[in-house]
This record gives sequence, structure tokens and C-alpha cells, in this order.
Amino acid sequence: MILPTKKVIRYGVALFFIFTMNFFLPRAMPGDPVINLLGEDFVAGKETVEKLREELGLNRPVILQYTGYWRNILHLNLGYSYHFRTRVSTLLLSRLKWTFILVMPSLLLGTLLGAYAGALVGWGEKSWSSTLTFLLFLFIYCAPPFFLSLLFLYLFAFQMDIFPLKGFYTSGHFGDVLRHLFLPISVMTLSSASRNFMVMRGSVLQEKGKSYVWYARAKGRFGKNILFRHVFKNASLPIVTLFALDFGFIFAGALFIEIIFSLNGMGTLIYEAVLARDYPVLQGAFLIITLMVIGANFFADWLYSVIDPRVRQET
Amino acid sequence: MKRYVLNRRKYLWWFGGALFLFFIILAVFSSSIAPYHPRERFEPFVSPSQKHLWGTNDIGNDIFSEFVYGSRVSLLVGLFTGALSTSLGVVIGLIAGFHSGFFDEVLMGLTDVVLMIPRIPLIIVLSAFLRPNMWLLILVMSILWWTSTARVIRSRTMQIRAMSFVESARCLGFSNRHIVFSEVLPNIFMVVIPEFLLTVASAMISETSLSFLGLGDPSLKSWGTMIHFAFQRGGFLNGMWWWYIPPGLGITFFVMSIVFLSFSFEEGEFELKEEVKDVSFNN
Repeated sequence: MILPTKKVIRYGVALFFIFTMNFFLPRAMPGDPVINLLGEDFVAGKETVEKLREELGLNRPVILQYTGYWRNILHLNLGYSYHFRTRVSTLLLSRLKWTFILVMPSLLLGTLLGAYAGALVGWGEKSWSSTLTFLLFLFIYCAPPFFLSLLFLYLFAFQMDIFPLKGFYTSGHFGDVLRHLFLPISVMTLSSASRNFMVMRGSVLQEKGKSYVWYARAKGRFGKNILFRHVFKNASLPIVTLFALDFGFIFAGALFIEIIFSLNGMGTLIYEAVLARDYPVLQGAFLIITLMVIGANFFADWLYSVIDPRVRQET
Repeated sequence: MKRYVLNRRKYLWWFGGALFLFFIILAVFSSSIAPYHPRERFEPFVSPSQKHLWGTNDIGNDIFSEFVYGSRVSLLVGLFTGALSTSLGVVIGLIAGFHSGFFDEVLMGLTDVVLMIPRIPLIIVLSAFLRPNMWLLILVMSILWWTSTARVIRSRTMQIRAMSFVESARCLGFSNRHIVFSEVLPNIFMVVIPEFLLTVASAMISETSLSFLGLGDPSLKSWGTMIHFAFQRGGFLNGMWWWYIPPGLGITFFVMSIVFLSFSFEEGEFELKEEVKDVSFNN
């Protein structure tokens, strides 16, 4: 895997920039930096605060604080949460896996479903069914994910009582976990699919007019055969870009969905941290999400070079 | 074929326009449409009735009035963020596209970096530190939201810069400033509008989402705030759907009307491109 050095430098700069911003945030915000670094749940006498100010190095020059900040990050030391009474890194890692269980299947299913439906609707002649599909996906595209979750929860869990109202599991059996995860994963899949649908539909509409499609038609292929053998691959390039761009969005969306369905992932953690003004957890979560987004962009660039030979040749 | 496209555009335009107008009227004439002031208190937890169209909430505010006034917040946040961030994006995109080379490299590098900042998580962290305030939210969103506009404007500017009428203007000795303002800017206008509209929509969704988390401006009642209280104070568990479904549908359809409008502009853009291509074919 060889990426252009320019790209790698940009990722490096982005990472550096965002992490540096994260360093200055608690120090630039109004209020006592000690509290900004430890969270509002931290209550102590004046002497202890002064002692901690010394320990946190807030009396030292900014440059030294800054190098210390990077050293801590490289040692995976993200501080201590006084609200949850554990180390932030342990807390984040334990919650992250649940978010992944929610996000990964939804992202995959959503991309496939959205790309497939979008390609069909973009390719076909206008009909009632395609207009209806378009309007349905548009509605999902425009609805905030948390409202969609509320709607689903109200309809399927509250009114029809088919699915449980909250949590990841009650008994812990595989089927039980699946039953609990069905609604949140459906909401996320649909919301990810709707974005992919919009992009794919536009992309296929654009590709439709190109001459290789005419050539394929002239060769004797027709209908969906052309779509899936020739057009689909070319039209799906923007989907790869979207995957990277969407990763942050999906994570933020997962946050809201977790809150609604009371799932114990990163989202509920961030929510609890916001309510308790637990700044170390918030900052740690922000760093983890940043890492994830940059990683996704990196992955998308690599995937792009695998799919599109023109990009490969440039490197 | 052409008539078909035109019809479709018209239909999108009318539908989106009518829906958009409806919400604008709701926002502008809130005080005459809403039967009560959103902070006036009645008996709490009343079901929908003649007196209270959509019932009342936990502290006895009339939900229909809250809904009507809530449209104002969405509209304000959307329009201001859209205007600010689009202007920023246009300026950056124009500079990058017009002066390729060093400026372009730096500005596009900056765009890539800003694009990678996880927006919603950053705003959540910021609002936890600061007291939530609508103008602050607008400012932060504008600083984060300009990237896609800048990219689109840049590529469009580069296209136009290479066209012959710009070259002739250059040959005639017009200054760069004149070329940017009178040759390039009018031609990117059609690209700016859909970008602006999509930014407005995205800002509105973000505002609602943040208010839903309880990070909205406490002095304002937005649709997100309504859903926040409905979810927090038992409106959801007691099955009072009239408390949170209307604001949810409100934001969805408001955003939908804007997306429809932007689509109708984009379809127009499509046509323009095709015409340009046809001309080059005939040559």
C-alpha cells in the first residue's frame, strides 16, 4: 500500500492539529483549568487543588505542559475520571466495543442496501415504485437519527411490543442480544443507506450518459446487465469517499441512537459525561473519535487506489 | 427528454417551495399563529383538546404554541450558519481555484484538515465547557461547515478560469479583481445556491440534535429542546406522542423542503452542463 506522500503529510497535519486543539481547549476555556482538566465532579479543598495544580504541571511553562500532554497520549494515559472513578482509557475501551457492535454491521449493510437501491432507482425509468423509494429514502435522509429512533421505538417497541425498549441484553443469549440490537441496527442501517442512496442515485444518473454505456448497449447487452457489469463499479467511487466522510457522522449518529435505546456504548458515555461535566472523558472520547475518522479516511484512500487504476498510476 | 427534465424541476420547485414557504410563514408570524405564548402556563400533561390543540407539557406550556415558535430557532440558526459558512467557503474556494499553486496547496490542505475534525463531538465538548448560546453555536458551526462549499467552488472556479471568455478578458487587460468579480463570480452563483441550502439544512439538523442532548440555548425553545424534555420528563414513556412527534416531523419536513429546493437547482445545473457538452460536440 503506497499512498502519495502529500496525502500522508495531510493526515499527519490533521492529527497534529486536532490533538493540539484538544490540548488548548481546557486551558483556554473560562473557569479554573484544574476543574477543566478534572471535571466538575471533582470536589476538594483549596490546598488539594493547589497540590493538584502542581501535579498536573499547570504551573510549568506551556511548552513543557504540551510535551507532557503528548507523552501521556503516547502512553495511552488519558487521565482519570472522578465521575466514573476509573481511568479514562479503560473506560473508553470498554465502551468502544459495544459501539462497534452497533456501527460496523449498520455501516456495511447500509452501504450495500443504499448503493443497490440507489443504483436501481438512478438507472431505471421513472415509475411509481422508484419515486416512492426515492421519497422514502429522502424522508430518512432528512430526519435526524434520534427522531427516527424515537419513531421506531414508539412504533415497534412501545405500541406493538415486538422488541425490548432498552439495553443490549437481558439474559445474554445470542438471540436475546440480537433481539435487543435489531431496532438500533435497523435505524442506523437505514440512515446510512439513505445517504448512500442519494449519492449512488446521482452518480448513476451521471454515468448513464457516458459513451461506454452506449458501447455496452451497442455490443448487445441491455438493462440491468449494463448497470451491474459496467456502470456500478464506476458509479460506486463516490460511495467510497462517502464511507470515509460518513464515519464521523455515523459515530455521532450512533451517539444519539445509543442514548435513545439506552445502549451502553460511547454515546451514552459521552452523554453521561456531558451531564456530569466530566471533561477528561469528553476529551478522551473526542480524541478516540478523531483517530477513528482519520483512520477511516486513510482506509478509504487505500480502497480508492485499489478500485480505481487511474489513482494507482498516479502514485 | 428536455421537457421531461423541465417538468420534473418544476414539480420539485413547487413542492419544496410551498413547504418552505409554509415554515417561513410559521416562523415570521409566530405571534399571530400561536394561540398562546410558549411560556404561558396551564394545567400540565393535558391531552390534545379543543383548548390545547396538541395538549400541554410537563410544566403546562401549550405544545402547539411551542411548536410554532420553535420554527424560529431552526430558521435563524440555519440561515445565519448557512450565510456565514457559505461566504467563507466561497472566498476560500475562489482564492484557491483562481491562484493555483502555493495558495491552492495551503488552502486545500486546510480544507482537508478541517474536514476531518469530527464536528458534532467537537461541538458537544465545546458546549460542555461553555454555556450554550445560539450565536456561539452559529459561529462554531460556520467555522466547521465551509469545507464542502470551498471544494465545490474551487473546482468550478478552475473550470471557469480555463474558459475562453476569461482568457479574452485577460487579453483585454482587465485586472484579476475585475475578472473574479465580474466574470467568475456570476458564473459560480448557480453552484453556490445548492451548497448554501444544504448547509442550512445540515445546520438545522445539528442544532436540533444538540438541543435534544440538552445542550441548546436555555433561553430559547427549539424543536430539539421540546423533544429533549419529552424524552427526559416522561412524555415518551407515557405515550404522549403529541409532545415529540410534531417537532420531529417539523424539523424533518423543514429540512426536506430545503433539500427539495437544492435539488431543483442542481437539476438545473445538470441541464447547463449538458448544453455545454453539446456545444463542444458540435464543434
